[in-house]
Amino acid sequence: MSSAHPHVEGAGEAGSHAAARRGVDRPSRVDLRIDARPGQLSVVRAVAADLAMHQDFDLDAISDLRLAVDEACAELIGLAAGDSGLHCRFEVRPQEIRMAAEVLSADSRAPRQDSFGWRVLAALVDQVWATTAPASADPGGHVVRIELVKRRTREVDG
Amino acid sequence: MRPPTGRDTNSRSPDYDHLAPLFHEMAGLSDDDPRRAVLREKLVTEHLPVAQHIARRFSNRGEPHEDLVQVATLGLINAVDRFQPDRGVDFLSFAVPTIMGEVRRHFRDTGWAVRVPRRLKELHLSINAAIGELSQRLGRAPTPSELAGHLGISQEEVFEGLEATNAYRSASLDDMLVADDDSVSLGDAIGEVDTELAQVEYRETLKPLLARLPERERTVLVLRFFGNMTQTQIAERIGVSQMHVSRLLARTLAQLREELRDATG
Repeated sequence: MSSAHPHVEGAGEAGSHAAARRGVDRPSRVDLRIDARPGQLSVVRAVAADLAMHQDFDLDAISDLRLAVDEACAELIGLAAGDSGLHCRFEVRPQEIRMAAEVLSADSRAPRQDSFGWRVLAALVDQVWATTAPASADPGGHVVRIELVKRRTREVDG
Repeated sequence: MRPPTGRDTNSRSPDYDHLAPLFHEMAGLSDDDPRRAVLREKLVTEHLPVAQHIARRFSNRGEPHEDLVQVATLGLINAVDRFQPDRGVDFLSFAVPTIMGEVRRHFRDTGWAVRVPRRLKELHLSINAAIGELSQRLGRAPTPSELAGHLGISQEEVFEGLEATNAYRSASLDDMLVADDDSVSLGDAIGEVDTELAQVEYRETLKPLLARLPERERTVLVLRFFGNMTQTQIAERIGVSQMHVSRLLARTLAQLREELRDATG
């Protein structure tokens, strides 16, 4: 597993400062395509946690991101049509990690925002939103997408 | 405090009733009274079946039975030493959770799902200890680089140690043990939920599911999602490690998700 670490730009404190000085804020990206099945969630969870760990997020933030990604992808898997896949993209910046996950769904229903799961999501990350859009004619259906942003925990006076 | 539940059939066994006066007698003796040691030994010996019974419940889980009996006996000795008969609680109601706690700690310290090299186990334990220390000092959860600095090891080693947590099997054991653990009463956090739940759809379905959770799981969930506390704050409040809170949350959320899906179609 450890050889699969993507090269995260600006990982660690020194790196992120250097990146900020250079004015570089180009995110590094990780794309995952998995079967939209609950059994695949562990892969996405592991990647999320690993990215946050290498970004030197604190342990609460690492765990929160892992839980949030799990919750968001599980929600989407529940909406996914037939044997479609789940596409999950991470963007890693020094101060935040973004995830956008999407599936093809038979109907245009977005995840409910008054659900317990959504409440959980909202508590775990800094921002989360859902969108739907018609998919291309082939195969048709709707693209349902959840995006979330987890920021580095703000330093408090120790 | 909740009244003793008597869930364990032994708690009401008359076999031990005749020993109750000995606790009162011991409580009335001064520390250096030689009679104390005699009473203490008698109380421990006579209650040994309780420790053995609890140890038996956790056999077949990969730990040698003799080790479990030893750990449970240690818990029993602690219970005899700490029991205060004037509190109005009978000894077994006090001793059973104390002994269970000791066994649980044992599993937590030694319980690994797969063979993990000794070096990694030690790494995991030292990281876990460092998390506690640094959280105290910083007032928040530490980062991997802070852990590395504190322990004088590389960040890569910290990553390794954190990943080793996945091989740690205490989670499933906690399931079983926490359900029987009456030593922590956390009901006071639950009142907030009702008002918060007002905005949540399917709350009528959710409520009984929440109510069925073991108390510790429910408390952790409520504090995190309705009480706006961080995992580190929750860990400190209920006296477990942050890693443990993290595991409890992950498992409880997955379980609720499944139950909600079944219940709402």
